[in-house]
Amino acid sequence: MERSFDLEMKTGAAATPARKPARSRRFRPPTVSGTQALSVKAAFAALSIGVLFLVWYLGTRYRVHFYIRFQNVPAPFEVFREATKVAGSNTFSANIVNSLRRIFAGFFVALVMGVGVGLVVGRYRIARQLIMPAVEVLRPIPAIAWVPMSIMLWPTTESSIVFITFIGAFYPILLNTVDGVESLDGVLLRAGRSLGASEAQLFRHVILPGVLPNVFTGLAVGMGVAWVSLIAAEMISGQYGVGYYTWEAYSLVNYPAIVLGMITIGALGLLCSGAIRLIGQLAMPWLAYVNGARK
Amino acid sequence: MTQTNNGRIDCNNIGVVFGSGEAQTEAVKDVSITVHPHEFVSLIGPSGCGKSSLLSIVAGFTKPTRGTATLDGVPIRKPGAERGVVFQQYSLFPWLRVRENVEFGMRMAGVSRSRREGTARTLLGLAGLLAFENHYPDELSGGMKQRIGIVRALAAGPQVLLMDEPFGALDTQTRTVMQEILTNMWQRFRLSVLFITHDIEEAVFLSDRIYVMTARPGRIKAEIRVPLPRPRTPAMFETPEFVELVQRLKTLIREESLAAMGSELTSGGVEGFSIDMGPNGVEELL
Repeated sequence: MERSFDLEMKTGAAATPARKPARSRRFRPPTVSGTQALSVKAAFAALSIGVLFLVWYLGTRYRVHFYIRFQNVPAPFEVFREATKVAGSNTFSANIVNSLRRIFAGFFVALVMGVGVGLVVGRYRIARQLIMPAVEVLRPIPAIAWVPMSIMLWPTTESSIVFITFIGAFYPILLNTVDGVESLDGVLLRAGRSLGASEAQLFRHVILPGVLPNVFTGLAVGMGVAWVSLIAAEMISGQYGVGYYTWEAYSLVNYPAIVLGMITIGALGLLCSGAIRLIGQLAMPWLAYVNGARK
Repeated sequence: MTQTNNGRIDCNNIGVVFGSGEAQTEAVKDVSITVHPHEFVSLIGPSGCGKSSLLSIVAGFTKPTRGTATLDGVPIRKPGAERGVVFQQYSLFPWLRVRENVEFGMRMAGVSRSRREGTARTLLGLAGLLAFENHYPDELSGGMKQRIGIVRALAAGPQVLLMDEPFGALDTQTRTVMQEILTNMWQRFRLSVLFITHDIEEAVFLSDRIYVMTARPGRIKAEIRVPLPRPRTPAMFETPEFVELVQRLKTLIREESLAAMGSELTSGGVEGFSIDMGPNGVEELL
C-alpha cells in the first residue's frame, strides 16, 4: 500500500520535471520518445476506460443474462439523460456539497489528530506504551461497524457521519506517521541536535519534514477509507449526500440514478485522492531527486 | 567568545561498557585524551576499538560508563552547537536545499535571515559550492554532500569539530581531494578537530597529533606527534618523514588488528586454522 503510493508520488513528480529546468543536473528535456510515451499512455488509458463502457453498453444493449443479469441495469444513455436532468437541480448539488463538507471535516480532524498523536507516539516510548494498546484494540473495528454507536454517541446525524469519516481516515494517518518517525534516519536527529536544535525545534525542523512522505502516504490511504466510510454511513443514516442519493434511488426503483450516484462517488473520490497527490508533490519537491525517482 | 584559548577537549579515564550481566562487553577502557585549542588530532585503531564510541561521548550523544569528558572544563552532557559533528553517513536534510542546510545551525540559534544567508554563501563560496546553493542534496555526488556536511557544521559556529570517518564512504580519488580541501579549510579556521579514521595516510596528512588505540577493549596504545610542516600539500605524501611515520603506524595498527581478529593469528603468519574434522568432513561442521 505504502510502497505503491510512494512510487506513484515519485513517478508523478518525475513526469513533470519542467518545474525547475535550469537547476537540475539530472533534468532531461522532453524528448521525442518522451512525448511519444505520454501519448501512448493516454491512448492506453482511453482504451482501458473505453472497454469498460463497451462492456456496459453491450451488456445492456443485448440484455445479457449469463449468471450475472443486465436486465435491470440502465444503459449508458439512460444514465446520461438522468445526469442532464439532475444537472440543474439544487438537490443534487446539495448532495455533493454535503458529502464533500463531511469528508473535509472528518478528514481534517483525522489529519490533525493522526499526525499530532503519531509524532508523539513515534518519538516517546511512554506515549507509545500508553496509547498504542488502546489503538490496537479499536483499530480492527471497521468504521461502518461504528454507525449505530455513532448515532447513539453524537447529538446530530451530521456529527455522527463526520465521526464515521474521521474513524476511517484516522488509523492510516496515525500508523503511517508513527512508522515515519520510527524509521527516520537517526543520523538526521543527531545532526539536528549537534547543530543546536532544541527538542521543540527538532520536532518542527527535522521530525515533521522527515516524516512528511509517510504522512502523505497515510493521507492517500486515509482518504480512500474515509470515502468508503462516508458513503456507507450516508446510506444507512444519512440525509443528503451522494451515498444517500444512491440508496434513495434504489428504494425508489430509479435505476439510472443508482449508476449516476456510483459514478459521482467515484469521480469525487478520484478528485480528492488527486488533490492529495498534487499537494504532496508541491509540499515535497525534493522527492523528485531521491535516488531511483527517475527510473 | 571572549576567551582566546577555547576549544579544548579533555577525556579523563573514559570507560564504556555495553550491555549488562553475561552479555557485557567492554568497548573502551580507561582512555584519557586531550585536544588542545586549534589542534588537529586523529584517533586511529582497528575496527571495533571504540573510537566512534569516544567521539559519540564528546559529541554528547552517549554517556560514558566511567570517566568524564569536558569542553573547556565544562562537563559534556548533551549535544550542542559548540561541538560541530561531521558524520560518516550522509546526514544532510534531504528536504532542505544546500544553502538551507548550511543555514540550519544559525536558524536554530535565531540568527536573522540576511545574516544567515551572507554567512552561508561565504562558506559555500570558500568550499567551491556556491553554484549549488539551490540544489537539493539528492542532486549531488557523495563528495559534495560530505563537503556540505563540513560547511554546515562550520556555519553553526562551533569551537571544536568532531569528524567520524567523514570520508569513509568515498572512493579513493575523491577522498584524496577531500583531504586536501579539509586541510586547507582547517588552515583558515584553525578549529580544534577530533578526527576518527582507520586510514593511516589520511591521519598523518591531516593531523598534528595521532592517538593509536588498541583492539577491544580500546585503550590508548601510543601517542604520536606529526612533525610535518604546515600548510600540508599532497607532495608531502612522498617525503621520507611521511613514509617512515606511516610505516611506524602501520606496524602498530597491524599488531592490534591481529589481536582483534583472535589470538590464533600471530605475526609469524596465519596459524590455528587447522580444524579437526570427523569422517563426514565439512558437513559435520555446518
